[in-house]
Amino acid sequence: MSAAIAGLGITELGKVYGRSPRRFAADAVRLAADDAGLRLDELDGLLVSHGLGGSPGIELAETLGLRDLRLLTAMNAFGATAGAMISYAAQSIASGAATAVACVFSDAPLQPRQSSGSAYHRDAREWYGFGGMTAALGLRSVNAFYALAAQRHMARYGTTSEQLGAIAVSTRQWASRNPLAQMRDPITLDDHQNSRWVAEPLHLLDCCLVSNGAVAVVVTSADRAAALAQPPVHVWGWGQGHPGHRKERGSAFGLSTGAAISGPAAMKMAGVTVADIDVCQLYDCYTYTVLVSLEDYGFCGKGEGGAFAASGALAPGGALPTNTGGGQLSGYYMWGMTPLSEAVIQARGHGGDRQVDRRDVLLVSGNGGILDHHSTLIVSPHRKGA
Amino acid sequence: MDIGILRRDGRTDAFFDGTAAERLMIRHCAECDVHLAPDATSCPGCGDEDPGWARASGDASLVSWTVTHGRPAEDGTVPEPALLALVELDEGPWLYTRLAVARAALREGLPLTAAYVHPDEGESYLLFTERGSVG
Ligand SMILES: [Zn+2]
Repeated sequence: MSAAIAGLGITELGKVYGRSPRRFAADAVRLAADDAGLRLDELDGLLVSHGLGGSPGIELAETLGLRDLRLLTAMNAFGATAGAMISYAAQSIASGAATAVACVFSDAPLQPRQSSGSAYHRDAREWYGFGGMTAALGLRSVNAFYALAAQRHMARYGTTSEQLGAIAVSTRQWASRNPLAQMRDPITLDDHQNSRWVAEPLHLLDCCLVSNGAVAVVVTSADRAAALAQPPVHVWGWGQGHPGHRKERGSAFGLSTGAAISGPAAMKMAGVTVADIDVCQLYDCYTYTVLVSLEDYGFCGKGEGGAFAASGALAPGGALPTNTGGGQLSGYYMWGMTPLSEAVIQARGHGGDRQVDRRDVLLVSGNGGILDHHSTLIVSPHRKGA
Repeated sequence: MDIGILRRDGRTDAFFDGTAAERLMIRHCAECDVHLAPDATSCPGCGDEDPGWARASGDASLVSWTVTHGRPAEDGTVPEPALLALVELDEGPWLYTRLAVARAALREGLPLTAAYVHPDEGESYLLFTERGSVG
């Protein structure tokens, strides 16, 4: 029994204050069930993913008043969690363990009158131990670790900041057509180059947004989804990849990612190759993450991601429409639910001004940690094999 | 360069005794004869959660680097940029560190060596400088 995504719920996103992550999550699950045309008490499974704040957990079921669930757990593979949740839900549907599973991510790191950078920032005058020394010397933001990865790719393959900028620009082009996106004013390559440094080689416009909010989906059987309110989005394949790059001689850190593992696994399960992918929704915590993922999936050769991005392939009208909702760079930052939610919208044909023409096969990526954890989903508006 | 005050945490006495004496101490699992980073919490080979310490040469090569720029303050002042790096010790482990190296010299594989800083208060720490350079 194959699975399909039947419901999508997206709360208000961005600088939305006064709601806890638990409240956002509950709202998103209600919206997703309603979108599917299901009553809340028709859910028999709930998978919960929280941000770095650690809430909500499985108490969300109680918040929602869900009873007699047959599947309930919190999952965490950081940015790869959304893909992992969908695969667990799909396997639970297939085995009969559950029949309608809500998967939700929620986070609320932003507080009023505070810049987004400081939402995650900690400053201390005293530092403890070896890790404290590293932080004291200046390595205390995720930006710096991704910058080290991107710089290694640049030094090894000649990737340029302008090539990263092409990703920022094309992603914003898509965002300008998405009413859900937080940043919709068009930008140029000059705007990218002139945006302030965050951690060289990353400019501000290489970095994702920070958002409050929640996104949920409901997964059920393909048969049941066909009778519900929305066009089903069929789950054709999934994979995970956790390369375990040890920080020691011989490590491929920055040069390749778990997409090289999860991508082929998901495509094999789905019975497709990269040539069959019509649309990509790639986890874009940074422009560089998109670039290296494209290489690892095989859309271009290793080291050719920069040229591929600069070719215009990812932009509206390009050969491989990518991050068609504006991604995390310009749309909204809901971890792996950002690419997944846009894939659902596009597969349904509900993309409005940004709807792509060819959408038979969509690829969705997730990326967590510092390129430590990866997930891939292949989804389609068509039944697998139909 | 003001980085704040470094304190020990109970797991790093050998490391900070080392920096005080201008020696780079890293973990070494005798059972597996493998060098590990100073903050390794266990040996991946045998699971030992308290591998021993060994003196490293202090020589390394540059893996990657970044210059971090703090967010400008409300009064427009900008924190001093920091040149940070991943370096590969000759013994194999990688360290996150800070460099005192001219930007024009930065390249993959640049030979480096440890240099030590002894602040008035708190533990001594190390940076890396270009190997063979003067000063
Ligand atoms: Zn060992």
